[in-house]
Amino acid sequence: MRMANFRSSYGARRLALGVLFAILLGFFLLPQQLQALFQEIGGPVGWVLSWPIRLVASVQEGIGETWSHYVALQDVEDENRQLRKELELLQGQNSQLRESASATDRLTALLEFKAQALPTMIAAQVIGRDTGNWHRTILLNKGSADGIEADMGVVTSVGVVGRVVKTTMATAVVLLVSDPNNAIAGLIQRTRDEGIVEGTTPGLARLKYIPLLSNVRAGDRVVTSGLVGGFPRGLAIGTITTIGKEEGALFQSAELRPEVDVNRVEEVLVIQSPYIPGEDGKSDELLPKAKL
Amino acid sequence: MKIVVYVCAVAALVAVQITMLPYISVWGVKPDIGLVAVCLIGLLAGELEGLLVGLFMGWAMSLFSAVDLGTSMVAKGAVGFLAGLAGRQVAQVTPLVLIGGLVVASTVASLMTMWSLKPNDQQDSWWMIRTILMPQACFDAVVGGLCYWVIWSRVNLDRLAEGREV
Repeated sequence: MRMANFRSSYGARRLALGVLFAILLGFFLLPQQLQALFQEIGGPVGWVLSWPIRLVASVQEGIGETWSHYVALQDVEDENRQLRKELELLQGQNSQLRESASATDRLTALLEFKAQALPTMIAAQVIGRDTGNWHRTILLNKGSADGIEADMGVVTSVGVVGRVVKTTMATAVVLLVSDPNNAIAGLIQRTRDEGIVEGTTPGLARLKYIPLLSNVRAGDRVVTSGLVGGFPRGLAIGTITTIGKEEGALFQSAELRPEVDVNRVEEVLVIQSPYIPGEDGKSDELLPKAKL
Repeated sequence: MKIVVYVCAVAALVAVQITMLPYISVWGVKPDIGLVAVCLIGLLAGELEGLLVGLFMGWAMSLFSAVDLGTSMVAKGAVGFLAGLAGRQVAQVTPLVLIGGLVVASTVASLMTMWSLKPNDQQDSWWMIRTILMPQACFDAVVGGLCYWVIWSRVNLDRLAEGREV
């Protein structure tokens, strides 16, 4: 077996070597600037490339729907889906109500009640997964042209999904809560201890920096603390499964089971703005409801 | 004309990689068909085309992934360039030789990505090597070998090469 021996000319070889050297030198000397430049140019390019992605995704969705509606048991599938949606809704409501009750107790005691602002949300559909195996991300069918920007929080009715890390004009990449590079400010709902939720390599999550004196236990729910990042307070992140205490460590950590099954997410809400500051720059204003 | 073909190929491969390959992943690992394509283009068309298509492929893939843009571009560009160089040095390319080359190319690209991710500790590094790097290298090699075998059985590459030399 011989290969096609399409030999490049000597000039082409030298040009290739020059281009490779220039790119390497560029990324070595000006990494931030070059990344920003390529990301900026990537906006419209991403919009063009998103069309074949949408096309393939819609064909795939069509085949999937045909299969589930006509080949699989239609009634069971529909009933199951309906029940699952109801369960998700109730779980989400339960978490919000618990948080509201807890917040009401504390705030009433302080006689300084402030209504928590409702976030503005953009509904989006999941059209794909990460191109590689190194990150756990999903691709949304809405991007910077729809008002989505990096660092915005992404949720479902059940809880937190992740955080937007990259956008093109028509798509957005969401780093999932189970990715080790993600970090979200979390709060243990029962003990009110704060920490940082990070993903783990096997695809779960871990709450770090829990104070040593905290009486956290398995089964405790962890919600967003609302202090930093694109999330309002009280959105469910996960449930603690095991506590890790190391000898001589300053903090303890806990393994979490994420509330949202990130492998099955199909539709999400992107939190465009958790709060809008008032004219004095301090008070929160009540915002209009979701933009769908 | 060739540029249009390459751009269309990149667009199609990116779409398939994002939407369809997650469903055929084995143990959560899917092949990088962009890397395989860049390798084949480098082998068949030379180092300049391999490099340029690799850079464009890396850029396009990074737009829809959390992977670092620079690492993605440089890794795929370097693979295309090295495949072109290897194509000139190796007289006889069989699917088995190609499989070996793809294992090396995929491993090099994965090591570059691992380096950019800066794993927390040795345990994380070994976990990445065991569960991502090695299965992906095998997966890429098998997919590339199959693609080459299909191309070779459909198109008489020797005749194409002779035609080009004339």
